[in-house]
Amino acid sequence: MESAEGSTELSAAESLAVIERQRAQVGRELDVNPAVLYAVWGLAWALGFGALALTAAELVPVPLWVGGVVFAAMLVAAMVITGVHIARATRGIRGVSAEVGAMYGWSWALGFGALAAINSALIGAGLTEDQVALLWPATSLLIVGVLYLAGGALWRDRVQFGLGVWVLLTDAVSVFAGVPGNYVVLAVAGGGGLLVAAAWFATSRGRAAVR
Amino acid sequence: MSTVPELDPVIHAQARLRVMATLAAICEGDRLAFPRMQQLLGMTAGNLSTHLRKLEEAQYVEITKTHERRTPATYVALTCRGRRAFEDYTVALRALLPGDDPSEEARR
Repeated sequence: MESAEGSTELSAAESLAVIERQRAQVGRELDVNPAVLYAVWGLAWALGFGALALTAAELVPVPLWVGGVVFAAMLVAAMVITGVHIARATRGIRGVSAEVGAMYGWSWALGFGALAAINSALIGAGLTEDQVALLWPATSLLIVGVLYLAGGALWRDRVQFGLGVWVLLTDAVSVFAGVPGNYVVLAVAGGGGLLVAAAWFATSRGRAAVR
Repeated sequence: MSTVPELDPVIHAQARLRVMATLAAICEGDRLAFPRMQQLLGMTAGNLSTHLRKLEEAQYVEITKTHERRTPATYVALTCRGRRAFEDYTVALRALLPGDDPSEEARR
């Protein structure tokens, strides 16, 4: 033993405990926590679409645009929290997982970028107010659902894949529910689904590290 | 009397073990920046450098120095040899656990 170490030699059990402790710490600090992200977006959808539902159905003495502002604020907050969380977790990592993660992240930006252009063009071509109200959430959740399927496949994450299926299903049903029924479906089934996923990942079974 | 497996002296020292265990937890194909490693291990830069140098001498870690936006950056990863040595080390540890019954080994 090096005298520089100072301490006595570790037993086999202690050494294994040290290894496990480091593995758990790396998992905690370097992995993106799905419970956090699903909770943030689940709340954003539940509260945001909920506000749109209440104001559009005139169940509260508050104009529609207020519901729109609440919705936009929820989205911005969720995006900021997501960005900060992922940046903190992945700081100082380079290599395969970083490249994969970067491409996946860009998929979101490019998908929504194309979506904005397409929807704007369609609206410019002439749509009713109700059709516009259906278009934006429906097409957005289509991208979300498909990217959850892709993410599930990429990281062999069956919960994320299942969530993708659920989001696509919810999305399709919401359109048939018309306005403001679509907002109700999205808030309850969409937001609710994400919150259920968040709760599952927060349990001890969900927390079992990939590493 | 069964032979006691020798524990790799390069790895079997508390601080270096923590360094190896941390690097082993990083996905293969990834490398870890020196400052992030410091933060994960709670070591001073000098301390970590010393341990990494010894591990590099044993060819267990690969240290790459690069530049990011004109500031130097150092990245660390296990070599194939280092990963294998760490796996052998953990197998040897488990074999040393008291209560040498087959059920314990089956539990891994």
